Amino acid sequence: MRRKSLFVIAVMLTSLIASVPAAMAQTDCKTIVPASPWGPNDQTGATNRVTPAVTKAAAAEIKDGKVVVMSYPLTDGIPLFGTRFTKTILTATTLAPGGALGENQLTYMEDTWLSQSHVGTHLDGMGHIGRKDCYYNQTPMGKFITQNNMTKLGLEHLKSFATRGVLVDMVKVYQAANKFKGNSACKKPCLEKGTVITKADIEAGLKMYNVTLREGDILIIHTGWGNLFEQFPAQNAVYNSGEPGIGKEAGNWLVSQKIVAVGSDTWGVEVIPGEDPKEAFIVHNILLTDAGIHIIENVRTDLMAAEADQTKRATFFFSMTVPKAVGLTGNFVAIEGIR
Amino acid sequence: MGRALRTPALPGGRRRCVMWVNLAWLLLLPWLGGTVLLAFAQERRYTVAFANLTEEPGTTLEGTGFTGRDVRESFVLAVRRYPIDLVFYDNQRDPRKALANVEDAVARKVDLYIQYLDDPATNIKVGQRLRGAGVGVLAINTPVPDAPLYTMDNRVAGRIAGEALSEYGGRNWRGLPTIGVVLGHLQAQAHRVPERAQGATEGLKRHLPAIRIIPVDTQGNPAQVAPLLAKVLASHPSTKILVAAMDDASALAAKIALESAGRVPDGAIVGQGVDRSVHGGMNDRKEIDPSNRGSIVVGSVAFYLDRYGYEILPLAIRMLRGETVAPRTVTAHRLITAANVFIEYPPYDMN
Repeated sequence: MRRKSLFVIAVMLTSLIASVPAAMAQTDCKTIVPASPWGPNDQTGATNRVTPAVTKAAAAEIKDGKVVVMSYPLTDGIPLFGTRFTKTILTATTLAPGGALGENQLTYMEDTWLSQSHVGTHLDGMGHIGRKDCYYNQTPMGKFITQNNMTKLGLEHLKSFATRGVLVDMVKVYQAANKFKGNSACKKPCLEKGTVITKADIEAGLKMYNVTLREGDILIIHTGWGNLFEQFPAQNAVYNSGEPGIGKEAGNWLVSQKIVAVGSDTWGVEVIPGEDPKEAFIVHNILLTDAGIHIIENVRTDLMAAEADQTKRATFFFSMTVPKAVGLTGNFVAIEGIR
Repeated sequence: MGRALRTPALPGGRRRCVMWVNLAWLLLLPWLGGTVLLAFAQERRYTVAFANLTEEPGTTLEGTGFTGRDVRESFVLAVRRYPIDLVFYDNQRDPRKALANVEDAVARKVDLYIQYLDDPATNIKVGQRLRGAGVGVLAINTPVPDAPLYTMDNRVAGRIAGEALSEYGGRNWRGLPTIGVVLGHLQAQAHRVPERAQGATEGLKRHLPAIRIIPVDTQGNPAQVAPLLAKVLASHPSTKILVAAMDDASALAAKIALESAGRVPDGAIVGQGVDRSVHGGMNDRKEIDPSNRGSIVVGSVAFYLDRYGYEILPLAIRMLRGETVAPRTVTAHRLITAANVFIEYPPYDMN
């Protein structure tokens, strides 16, 4: 009887000790990252806001069917963040003499694409950015990663991005406010790196085209910095050395606007160097980790900015498909603005 | 008199109307007042002059690896959060130029002058001229009489390095013969290196009170580190060596000297400064790097000249707003190691 009691106590103690790390991790994340407004099981984030009504309302932006390209070419040599790389390899063996198949002499080609997922025009998913090991919706990510991918917060959980896009032209805003400071490496006007785009700047950009943000929108910020991307590879080093972008105040304000995503013609959307040298990519935390709002980087914005300038209309139907890439933290995307 | 001020009686409906109007005014007034105040606060911008020590390319400051450009850039970035327009001057380490800069700033009617010049005599004249013109002054590293001073603390920085080495020696080599080496341009009074060396000596004795300390003076030539240190190493075989380098260039040179002598297992080095020659971006793979935790360069003490703007402009804005500022504000020196370098200096440059 006594031995049995000791056994039970031992089992209980073992269970208690074994459960401590998991319990601690969860407790920690609850103090580090806010809960999702869509519940404890939410892995979707801000695309929850893209309801049928939102998509239907966005469709009203299509007036004449004009499609504006909003992504950059995806090719070797474009500016890449840190150690990222791309390499394409063409397989064309059937083009070799005697390689064609059958009497119909069928030939084929295919590619091997070696790359990280966050290259070119791309979407940051929920699993991209966290605080310590705490990610969106208080997810203790250490428990949900394998050698190959994440078992939580992957792109497969995202809903549609079929919503209204709103462009703000920061070049025009800064020029109008007589505070424009450019970079000589840009062939078209661009804001200088380190320029902090504020809430007031975004509001001025919206006012310029008489637009108000509404829940479910995607905000696209034209800074002109993307002109350096277009010059790849000549200006890659300048492009990567910093960027104009939104600061913390603007990031927090965008969260309050309940948008789905914010994109820009820069590699990180937020201002680099940041406002506080001891903080690392803090606006990524504000948007992605805390609010589930996606960040879309290296968006080609110049064509839509020109279109808006010409037509005095800065809204469009935002067309972007994100692959159901299971367990991925992000992926390159193609975006079209339809008017 | 009381009768004259009395409001005539109003019919009930009209009285209610007046009451509602008054209530509306009561609610609106604070809002209007707030708006006016906010507009005033937003409109008030200050013009601040920053006269840098020198911006000559390649010239390093204060016995560290930082340049005047690093200091200037920190002001450019830090000012983004303040209602301040900066006017930049280069003192060129030249008293005449410094005085000419002050005259220009007075003519521009700047609100505040931040003086960075290592010439006390000139700083006295600068202070007198600015005070006469009613312009506030804030001094960096070398005092201007009666002006708040922001300054590094070389002795504390040296002590941090010495204590780190002493703690390392006590932890890893307890009971083994160990010497301390204080290495660098030890007589550089202008850069207050002797204070740094004194602090390092004090720190080395913290956990190893009986340690013998050998000063090795490079006369400011890092190329002298290898031959001078080689002599010390040769005369101390089978001895552990804790090297308190007075700057990062000397620390890196000491590492090479220990490698050349095959004495890496016998050495530990701490530098001073923490400029980008020892830490870098995500891909730089510099000496102080999370992926290089085994380096015998245990760390370096941060001087943060590349953060001066972030440290000094908050003092400036407080002075401009009429708030009290301490007469002396000191850099919070810290030991930067592979374990905290990415926290202290998060990499953002993605090249």
